[in-house]
Amino acid sequence: MSPNILEVTGLEKHFGGVHVTCNINFTMQEGEQAAIIGPNGAGKSTFMNLLTGYHRPDAGKVMFAGREITGLPPHRVVRRGISRAFQVSSIFARMTVRENVRAAVQAQMRATFRLFASGHSLGAEETERVLAMCGLAGKRDLVAGELAQGDKKRLELAIALAGKPRLLFLDEPTAGMSIDEARSTMELVDRLNRELTLTVLFTEHDMGIVFNHARRLTLLHRGEIILEGTPGEVRADATAQKIYLGEHHL
Amino acid sequence: MKNAVVWSKIAVSDLKRATAFYEKLLDGKLKTETFGPYELALFPHAADGIGGCLMKGEGYEPSAKGTVTYLAAEPGIDAALKRAAAAGAKVLMPKIALPGDQGYIAHVADCEGNRVGLFAMSFNLLYGYMGQISFGHAAFFGVGAYATAMLFTALKGADGQIGVADFLLSLLVGPPVAALTALFVGFFCVRLTGIYFAILTLAFGELLFYIVFSWYSFTKGDDGIQGLLPPPFFQDSTNFYFFTLAIVVVAAAAMWRITESPFGYAMRTLRDNQRRAAFLGTNVRAHMLANFVIAGAFAGVAGALWGPFSRSVNPTLLGWGESGIAVFMTLIGGAGSFIGPMLGSVIYTMLQAVVKMYTVYWPLTIGTIILLIVLFAPGGILGMIDKRVQATRARDGAAEAEAAAAARAEAPRP
Repeated sequence: MSPNILEVTGLEKHFGGVHVTCNINFTMQEGEQAAIIGPNGAGKSTFMNLLTGYHRPDAGKVMFAGREITGLPPHRVVRRGISRAFQVSSIFARMTVRENVRAAVQAQMRATFRLFASGHSLGAEETERVLAMCGLAGKRDLVAGELAQGDKKRLELAIALAGKPRLLFLDEPTAGMSIDEARSTMELVDRLNRELTLTVLFTEHDMGIVFNHARRLTLLHRGEIILEGTPGEVRADATAQKIYLGEHHL
Repeated sequence: MKNAVVWSKIAVSDLKRATAFYEKLLDGKLKTETFGPYELALFPHAADGIGGCLMKGEGYEPSAKGTVTYLAAEPGIDAALKRAAAAGAKVLMPKIALPGDQGYIAHVADCEGNRVGLFAMSFNLLYGYMGQISFGHAAFFGVGAYATAMLFTALKGADGQIGVADFLLSLLVGPPVAALTALFVGFFCVRLTGIYFAILTLAFGELLFYIVFSWYSFTKGDDGIQGLLPPPFFQDSTNFYFFTLAIVVVAAAAMWRITESPFGYAMRTLRDNQRRAAFLGTNVRAHMLANFVIAGAFAGVAGALWGPFSRSVNPTLLGWGESGIAVFMTLIGGAGSFIGPMLGSVIYTMLQAVVKMYTVYWPLTIGTIILLIVLFAPGGILGMIDKRVQATRARDGAAEAEAAAAARAEAPRP
């Protein structure tokens, strides 16, 4: 049994009077690949925001690799080894694809205060490696804002991977992608999970992808965990059917 | 505010030839007079403006040795140098122009052009690469100028002369003092972005202006600090020109290096998407503060050179109007590129010179021009030339819409 890389206990978050995260307890083992599902507004993005320091939890504790990260700002959470890719691609629109990834590589190298080093050559090899891995090598000199939606999402993933994470959060990684793009992206995620024992937690609306690529599912509804289990268990569960899966005509 | 400098002379050996040359250079008539043994050719000037003359006579060496020459060339250094070349002069003949009046930077000669270009560039580091506008940047220029002026005054002898080592020492103190001031101001300002950042820098700039303006016992208030006469070698306009040029080249090279460093690229990520930059592991505030301090230090370099050049400093150097000029120059030339602000400073200076020949409504004119640029050419002159910049601008709209969608997606839902 591998140790828990992520341990969340009693996580709470209110916005005004709205309880968006209610007493969530959640763990992940190193090397796991899991998905969080739930209807719109279930609190999936908020959950990821709480884990990565974008929001401060009102109560509860987040442990990552044996150390507490509750309430740390995003840049410090990231330095511990957590990366995330956003639902709506959040890239650097005026920089080229290569510059996007290279900036992420240099941030990972903690080189961003080096005033007189070469921004072009530092981390260039690693940048090329990430670009090739994500199938972006041929588009390296395009301005990121010009990319097609699917390529933007791939760049989003490349930026996250450039951070050399141990734990990767993907918020709807295939949204806006064609079927082929979605397949190749999830194959890449599987490969990273398998070969580098990268721990992956993703959200996804496409139930086909969820059932094929997650080995464990967590169903969120109104900020609460309703159900956890294997894809088979969740598919068979009556509550899950009623709350969520029914909508998706499985 | 009074001008410390009221008259400029250019020593010539052949008044006729020189008059013809300057008439060509200025595109205007000079008035010839004699004054005792001296032959003069007076430059045309407005009643409330600053005048000057060509002067031939004993004690006036055309080599410019021992004489500091202030020449106002119009409508811009490129045009003036072109006309000078057409008149048969060496293109790099360093005649230095004097500001038309304090509060504007109306330099046409290279020396002032370089200085202003440097000032606009250090501003560019904030706006073009970090995406924030500072309206208090002149404060760091002014603080650098005052730091140098005060040490200069303390080090100079009773006869008003200063040694070369002491002079250089006084120049060296400007940038770090400006950087320290920027560290203090930046500590508060980098907590904000966008218009709030701009307003807070404006507030701090005005605060520093009033401190300098009011603290008479320390800063001499609105009298300013006079008598900053550099050592004899630097009194020669040619020598001072090349001294300034050398510093500008070194500073520009350092800036270029920084914009192309990992730090420079981190600044671009902050400009494009601060939230994402934080999720790369970049400490957003620390980087913005570092950038603020670096930009302040470069403004301090320009400020340090200003005092010995103009022989005086005064509180208007810190005023928001000076910062506004840097913003204008950057907007005109194009932010986010390295030469944009330099180009903008040349265009601004030339425009001001030309417009002022025809009308006193310069502020109205530049206001209209800035309005048109903001509305129709937000990338500045370089943006109009560079298709890629323009295309990117168009996409920014889409990116903003996306960001708004992301904000909606992230907003808590019951």
